[in-house]
Amino acid sequence: MIKKKKTPEATIPTSSMADIAFLLLIFFLVATTIDVDSGIGMTLPEFVEDIETVEVPKDRMAALLINETSDVLLDGQPISLFQITATLKPRIQSKIDLPKNKKLIVSIKTDRKTVYNAYISALDQVKEAFFEVRDEYSNSKYGKKFSDLDDEQKTEIKEAVPIIISIAEPEKIK
Amino acid sequence: MKFEKKRSSTKQEISTASMPDIIFMLLLFFMVTTTLREVEVLVNYSLPEAEAIEKIENKRLISYIWVGKEAKIQINDSLVKMDEIQNIMYGKRQALPNVIVSLRIDKSTDMGFVTDIQQELRKAYCLRINYSANIKI
Repeated sequence: MIKKKKTPEATIPTSSMADIAFLLLIFFLVATTIDVDSGIGMTLPEFVEDIETVEVPKDRMAALLINETSDVLLDGQPISLFQITATLKPRIQSKIDLPKNKKLIVSIKTDRKTVYNAYISALDQVKEAFFEVRDEYSNSKYGKKFSDLDDEQKTEIKEAVPIIISIAEPEKIK
Repeated sequence: MKFEKKRSSTKQEISTASMPDIIFMLLLFFMVTTTLREVEVLVNYSLPEAEAIEKIENKRLISYIWVGKEAKIQINDSLVKMDEIQNIMYGKRQALPNVIVSLRIDKSTDMGFVTDIQQELRKAYCLRINYSANIKI
């Protein structure tokens, strides 16, 4: 009888497993786009057919007008786009202690021909003003930045410094 | 007197047996965090830049609208017309009541066009929007 050759133990070599895993890893590393969606958040008003107009006292409003050449008017005064934050900040701060219905409203109005970029820059400046005021207020109250506060404190600051931005519809070009 | 150096009897090697496991852990992490781009963007756009930027906390709530140069609008996988937006977005809102609409609009677009889109969104009750912007460095 012919003796059978003794077969070696049948094992899958695992030494290359790390390499395979590495390859996969590199594929996913390259394919991953951890793109955080960031941007300027807004809430649009509900759509209503007939708009009822509410009179708002003049000192409560900050009206921003941006025209098609990116010139900015703040309450009738021409200012540069980058001054918006600095101009709005004291006005927001002066209204911190006032009741809820007396806080500053920033209204942004554009022309139909205004470039989107200019609008975003202006909106950015306005938001920046609100954020800076929030930060300073929370710093003076709790000694922390707004983003480091807990939820309860956050809502308190949010109530003191609400971000009210109204986007006015652009006028039709004459 | 001669001192004999004491040598440890164990081998001095880091065991590589657990390496695949570690790599697999990393791999799993990346596989889970990866969101492969599902939609092909058909419009050509470059986002504006801004500083006061917030991150959107929940990615699942986001629905995108792209607006490229030459005033093209894209929702999902296809280019749409202005008067179709309302229906599409209303459908989306019914599927996801608190949807956030991320507007990825080219920076040279006219505001009139943007406003028209916003009006459509308001009619579709998609009120939470986000103007997508890159961080200014």
